[in-house]
Amino acid sequence: MEIKGIACAVPDHIVKNEEYNEVFGEENVRKFINMTGVETRYVALDEQCTSDLCHAAATRLLEKLGWEPSSVDALILITQTPDYAVPASACILQHRLGLSEDCIAFDVNLGCSAYVYGIWLAATMISTQDLNRVLLLVGDTSNYGINQNDSATAMIFGDGGSATALEKSAGKNIKYFLKTKGSGYKNIIVPAGHARSRSRKEVDGSEYELSMNGSAIFSFTITDVPRTVESFMSQYNIDMNEIDMYVFHQANRFILRHLAKKLNIPMEKVPLSIERYGNTSGESIPITLVDALGNEESSGPLKLFLCGFGIGLSWGGIYLEMDKSVCLPMIYTNDYYKEG
Amino acid sequence: MDIKEKLNILENLLDVEQDTLREKTELDQLTEWDSIASITTIAMFDSMFKKQLTPEEVKEFKTIKDITDKMG
Repeated sequence: MEIKGIACAVPDHIVKNEEYNEVFGEENVRKFINMTGVETRYVALDEQCTSDLCHAAATRLLEKLGWEPSSVDALILITQTPDYAVPASACILQHRLGLSEDCIAFDVNLGCSAYVYGIWLAATMISTQDLNRVLLLVGDTSNYGINQNDSATAMIFGDGGSATALEKSAGKNIKYFLKTKGSGYKNIIVPAGHARSRSRKEVDGSEYELSMNGSAIFSFTITDVPRTVESFMSQYNIDMNEIDMYVFHQANRFILRHLAKKLNIPMEKVPLSIERYGNTSGESIPITLVDALGNEESSGPLKLFLCGFGIGLSWGGIYLEMDKSVCLPMIYTNDYYKEG
Repeated sequence: MDIKEKLNILENLLDVEQDTLREKTELDQLTEWDSIASITTIAMFDSMFKKQLTPEEVKEFKTIKDITDKMG
């Protein structure tokens, strides 16, 4: 399996966190920015859905690669903010992108770990189902359902959609680890809005909003994540010094610096997009890749380690080689479909 | 590490003036003791003392002394 191209789209609507000085106080906003690194974020219009951002990215990518829509064997959409409760937004995108009726299309519900799981899933489908081309879409409009008066969540998230084209290819060296710790499911949760709350007569409005236990997530990230990354590197005998880039889920800059320090990775090898794009959920890894390499004119192999961790709790890492020319420049768009 | 050094670590962490914290200082009385401070405290224990604190342990801290005692 080989990654042939990566495109990302973000809303053409920038929000500066200093705009929140009046809501939370200048000092608190300064502390928040110092901690998380988030200065600006791209926030979707109310009408703009995950499908719209992923569609923009996928359309550009198919054009660039010259892939006929009918040549795509499977479309995987990983999102936690689908357009509708049901049906799966992947079906809508199959239609919108003009993919064939033979195309496998389905949604997966994962967040911070989405990209790593998505690459694994696409690669597994290519190798075991004898597919040739898979389109992996990962996107979220995480600012939907956020309490604008909760300083922990109001200023952290950016919205975006990504498209990654994967094609059958021999001899590429890819290794994975994937982990789950469901006991921590409450640490990032939207409690209401689905079946668990259906039998209750009164549901507090705040239960429809994202609740995040920052210290529990941090504790998980600096214990379980480095332990499993080290074990993975050792299991596959990977020399960490030979990896060119470590692309981590852009959770928060403080977490990323701490994680890098624990793993003895120099920050020069850890690209950051969080300062300008915010925490872009499952698409943060491709957004960081596109931010770092989208205008790269030269080509050549890169050894990458991609690592996503968070909501679920779910995490994983991939070691792979990719050409540095595969990322397209960032797309900024306010386009949206009114329905379907 | 003596108590003054421990207090200085916490003064840096909480971004308060040097030599202003006392062991008896109650965390509830410190506006600087917030959700961000909980995270930086967990990070500080991890990097400086090689101790992994759980969020529950951090919640149990009531005074500065509770934290300095944990430093060992």
